[in-house]
Amino acid sequence: MSGFLIVKNIHVDLGEFKIEDITFIVDEKDYVCVIGPTGSGKTILVETIAGLHKPRKGVIILDGRDITSLPPEKRNIGIVYQDYALFPHMTVFDNIAFGLKKRISKKDEILREVKAIAQRLEIEHLLHRKPTTLSGGEQQRVALARALIVRPKLLLMDEPFSALDFNTRTRLRKLVREVVSEYGTTVIHVTHDFEDVWSLARKVIVMYRGRILQYDTVEEVFNRPCCELVASFVDINVMSGIVVFSNDKTIVRVGDIEIVSKDRVCEGHRVKVFIRPERILISKSKPVSKFDNVVRGFIEDLERQGNILRVQVRIGSICLKCISTPNVLGSLDLELGSSVYICFRSSDVRLLVES
Amino acid sequence: MGIQSVQIGFKHICIMTTVLIALILFLSFICLIALPSPKEIIESLKSSEMIFSLKLTLISALISTILVMIVGTPAAYALARFSFFGKRLIMTILDLPIAMPEVVLGLALLLLFGRTPLGTLLEDIGIRVVFTKIGVVIAEFFTALPYAMRMLYSTFETISTRYELVARSLGYSSFETFMKVTLPMARSGIIAALVIAFARSVGTFGTVLILAGGTYMVTETLPVTLYLNMSYGNLGMAITSGLLLLGVSFITIYMVEKFGGRKI
Repeated sequence: MSGFLIVKNIHVDLGEFKIEDITFIVDEKDYVCVIGPTGSGKTILVETIAGLHKPRKGVIILDGRDITSLPPEKRNIGIVYQDYALFPHMTVFDNIAFGLKKRISKKDEILREVKAIAQRLEIEHLLHRKPTTLSGGEQQRVALARALIVRPKLLLMDEPFSALDFNTRTRLRKLVREVVSEYGTTVIHVTHDFEDVWSLARKVIVMYRGRILQYDTVEEVFNRPCCELVASFVDINVMSGIVVFSNDKTIVRVGDIEIVSKDRVCEGHRVKVFIRPERILISKSKPVSKFDNVVRGFIEDLERQGNILRVQVRIGSICLKCISTPNVLGSLDLELGSSVYICFRSSDVRLLVES
Repeated sequence: MGIQSVQIGFKHICIMTTVLIALILFLSFICLIALPSPKEIIESLKSSEMIFSLKLTLISALISTILVMIVGTPAAYALARFSFFGKRLIMTILDLPIAMPEVVLGLALLLLFGRTPLGTLLEDIGIRVVFTKIGVVIAEFFTALPYAMRMLYSTFETISTRYELVARSLGYSSFETFMKVTLPMARSGIIAALVIAFARSVGTFGTVLILAGGTYMVTETLPVTLYLNMSYGNLGMAITSGLLLLGVSFITIYMVEKFGGRKI
């Protein structure tokens, strides 16, 4: 195996929680998000890589060096927590300079470096303050500066934005994306928030009950989940069908309807069909162009969730989840039981051959 | 209306109980302060016995407090942070002196330092514990240790291990992390533990009496002075030592209130 971070066959048992047979490789400068339901072992995984828990079995290799039995201080891995974990007895400056002081002794050099990163993260005006007097967003910038200033080989983030409000989170996400790419840092980021995944990650690890279910690119995991568990976790429509025609396009029979996909699968195969809810358009009249899949059904369920509206449309024996906005649905004058057309592109329909 | 009047009635009973018990205690303190004449107190304070007792009390309490903190801090940290074989049993043993009568603790220590190979060994290298000033310090140490350790333990428990992992990820060893992050964050709890250890040391009576003997002008600390003078019928001296001890208690409570609150 080769790669920047190699986690191979790791087992950790903490009694209440455990992770088993964890294997994955992260390339240099990659951004990997770890998702999964609560209690699936995401934090243990991150803390094991950081060196807090000793694995019962397995190897961790970072940049060609076996770090499995090294203490945390010898690993050169930075960590940022949801609750920031800023040292309350130090000023913001001392918090950021903390790791640097261990590496260099020249005071003016420390001052210069701290100022530079503080400027980049827009916290230069806070350097003399105590962390407890800062807002959540400011505290998280300080935590980020403290971790990044020593230029760690790997940056671990455990739900770094989950304690922040929506606007702060959005702004911080943008900042993290920019700064991480400027510093060329490799990142593993635990999150519950799919927004983090979509706007930051290149790859995703899906964990469940201490095991990795799927590790792939964001595109693959969210459009072609490897199993039912991942599918339900990433909230995608899953159906079973049989390929009835295959040429430059594939036609799959699902229940009473036929669905066109751009994925190539040979005739006669049983396949799983995936369509993301946000890729489905709801329309009152039959649309003229663009969509090569148009099916008629009726609205079975409506549920408002924040700014979006989750709609379930029934087409014979199958039921599809769609996402719309109250605005759209209001203007179309739709309600429960309304007859609608649902439309989606063949390029948004993903197929996976069932074994 | 009905429910509210029941609640108010219950509330009043609770408040009255508190006020009553505080009043009785306060009256007893007033007696201690008001009954003796100032002249008697000043004379008692000037007596060589009182000066000796005060000096021995403060010095022995200071030494035992320092020892308690040196031993108690790493011990409490170990209990709060690490899991190891026999941890629960060790915690119970260390807590036992809180529930145990001081005289029993004193007797147990007397037997350990007097009649066992350990006692003989110490005596051979010139350390006599039983009926000596060293015995006073040892008695105070073991009486105060569990109280200080409880305080330190709960302080370390409240500090999240995340701070320590962050410090270590930035290159600091576990000892450096303890010194630079954990200890400063535990500051208020450490001060509170220090004050409690000192106050318990000053007030130790039963353990000192049994292990160190409570001998006039030799191993005589303030509580012993109070006891000895009561038995001679010398009320002035007894009350004066009582007042001094009361003073220490007041300062302790004040300091604990001031520093003991969790600020982290």
